[in-house]
Amino acid sequence: MRLTALDEASERLGLKRGQGLAEVRAMFPELDLRDEDEAADRALLEAIADWCDRYTPLVAVDGGDGLFLDITGCAHLFGGEEALLKDLLGRLLQMGFDARGAISSFPGLSWAACRFGKGGVIADDRQSEVLGPLPVAALRIPDTMVPALQKLGLKRIGDLLVLPRAQLARRFGAQLLLRLDQATGANEEAISPRRPVASLSVERRLAEPIQDEEQILQLTGQIAGSLKSGLEARGVGGRLFELVLFRVDGRVFRLLAGTSQPLRDPRRISLLFSERLTAVQDDLDAGYGFELLRLNVLQQERFKDGQEDFAGRRQDDVLLADFIDRVSARFGRDCLLTASLQQSHVPERAEIFAPAIASQVKGHDTGPDLSFRPVTQRPLRLFRYPEPMEAFAATVPDGPPQRFRWRKLVHEVVRAEGPERISSEWWFDEPEGDERDYFRLESEMGRRFWVFRKGRYNGAKSAPLWRVHGIFA
Amino acid sequence: MARNATAQEALFALREQIARLEGKPLPALAAAQRTDIAAGKQALHPAQASLRHGFGIPPLDAAMDGGLPLDGVTEIRTRLMGDAGAASGFVLALVARLRGMVSSGLRFLWIGEVVSMQEAGRPYANGLVQFGLSPKDILYATPRKLEDALWIAETAMGSAALGATILEVRGNHKNFGLTESRRLSLRAKAAGRPLLILRHAGEEEASSAVFRFLAEPAPACARRLADGSMLGGSIGHPVFRLTLEKSRSPAPLSVHLEWNSRDRQFSLIRETGDAVSSGQPTTRGGNRIPASDDGQDRAPALGSLLAFERAS
Repeated sequence: MRLTALDEASERLGLKRGQGLAEVRAMFPELDLRDEDEAADRALLEAIADWCDRYTPLVAVDGGDGLFLDITGCAHLFGGEEALLKDLLGRLLQMGFDARGAISSFPGLSWAACRFGKGGVIADDRQSEVLGPLPVAALRIPDTMVPALQKLGLKRIGDLLVLPRAQLARRFGAQLLLRLDQATGANEEAISPRRPVASLSVERRLAEPIQDEEQILQLTGQIAGSLKSGLEARGVGGRLFELVLFRVDGRVFRLLAGTSQPLRDPRRISLLFSERLTAVQDDLDAGYGFELLRLNVLQQERFKDGQEDFAGRRQDDVLLADFIDRVSARFGRDCLLTASLQQSHVPERAEIFAPAIASQVKGHDTGPDLSFRPVTQRPLRLFRYPEPMEAFAATVPDGPPQRFRWRKLVHEVVRAEGPERISSEWWFDEPEGDERDYFRLESEMGRRFWVFRKGRYNGAKSAPLWRVHGIFA
Repeated sequence: MARNATAQEALFALREQIARLEGKPLPALAAAQRTDIAAGKQALHPAQASLRHGFGIPPLDAAMDGGLPLDGVTEIRTRLMGDAGAASGFVLALVARLRGMVSSGLRFLWIGEVVSMQEAGRPYANGLVQFGLSPKDILYATPRKLEDALWIAETAMGSAALGATILEVRGNHKNFGLTESRRLSLRAKAAGRPLLILRHAGEEEASSAVFRFLAEPAPACARRLADGSMLGGSIGHPVFRLTLEKSRSPAPLSVHLEWNSRDRQFSLIRETGDAVSSGQPTTRGGNRIPASDDGQDRAPALGSLLAFERAS
């Protein structure tokens, strides 16, 4: 076992990463040693990355202890690159993190300057003088390659830069040249952001943190108002919104709310989040308050500008969409469903349920006309899973029972219709030939059932299965 | 003079309020329109102005002051969970009738607790089609808790976007008492939309519902053949035994209603004991049943139906 991370005090003692545990224990028996928890470290880094979203939406995680931020076009919002870096590192220090940062035109150079150099902002004309004196390990090359280079006396990046490229490639492979090019900017390197970039995004920074739900919603409404012009300019409305709340102590909460129709109305957007906030009330700990609110549009769709007709139909559609959105925001999208018919003769496959929020809200759309419609009666309510029943005195071979027991009650059959034979769909299922014979039964009390027999009366070998599948009105 | 006018105004408002409390039609159409504007809504469709929907059965309509209230709560309860079929059938028949009446293509909301959906099954799309409804008409909400169900019902009533709301509960809950019922009833009144409470295996209970029915299953009529005779041993249109337990009329009324899903009509039938004689042999072999005259397969009416929904 070896040391993987050290705090400042142990660094002062002269310990190094990679030292053997037994050796360290022998040298400093009083040292407090902990097992490494990679998952927790990762979660912490992700949380810091979330927090860094306040500077730019393009944040990428680099290994186990670094972050890349693409601040192209963002620096001026914080008063320039110097000010941004100072602000970021200052805030991280307040949270108790010892972080180092560098800003340059290329990720490779920033990485090298940050980990092996002094960091800070590197202007374009100072690139080579910063890069030259750095050790070759700053190139992000495999660990085995570093000793090989050092053995040849190539200790600094500047030593590599003056050598002919062809010989380097022959000796050390293309990897080294690629890394070298990335550090000098000859090869463009893209960072891959952790989260999809929002198509539109608005935010509000607060001088005084807010805790109150009402204030959050009011502010959400306000920033949604400033989102509206952006949506209008593009001719779209949002289908999926994300409200990001940055807490003072660095924790970030994300709330998602979907809509069934493209949406622009600030009041309705804020209403959606009011439902979401109620739903996640227990998980959302305001603590000392939120200092930054951001509203993202993650999915957008063409907004149909429409005029109300004389009957006010559009108004009804909007009301319905509003209702669907609110219920789905509060209880999840699977709470509100719509059914649609499917082209299948197997009863349980003839309908499917889909979230109402996903299916387009239209007044009279009845969907595709199905060519297959059962001609015999179908029950009003169908059980999800056919329930077992016990049939007595059924007419052999293919008649209805005279009496049956279902849910502990015995029902006397007065009238029966059937059988209707329904075979399985051999083009989907195994051709095992499990045919069901369906009967409509009416009990003496007037209850009407839809039952089926699976299998046949086949002597003593096997008894057929009887099931109740639905009830009629 | 001005004081006189304000007094008049106050008097009208009070009369209106009393009429509302009593659930009677408002004194004048003008007054109705004024309140609609005050409630921030557009004027309703002229067909909805009456706010009562008749069953087409004279004794029932008379006992119910004109029919089902379109701005109130109606409760349908069963004694046992096993009677769920009859109660659901009656509720869906009412929805099918409302659908025929409300012309603007409004949808209906079915709020069913997870438990009742498991016990009684989910409404089945093909069955709904045969019952006179389209599966697209109905939205299903399946909240986990009763509180959530009540919240959805209240929101649905408040938004007035739905043609009717059906709230399916099982038994009598402590959390669904008179207060909650009153609240829903006020919402229904404000929105002008009906709320149907379908209570499985429930007791009679003080509630704010305008009417309460007890629904029980009853033997179905036999299928009618083309020549007018009945096909013995067959199971035709569903029949419900309904008892009007709560209403303004003192005597409880009990009727057998048959639902014809083709015509979307209820019809009153007499005691069905003689309609079905259990001594008759049961029919075997569905293919051998002759075509019935009012079933799925009867000849369609001549000519084509165009733009039925916007006919008004």
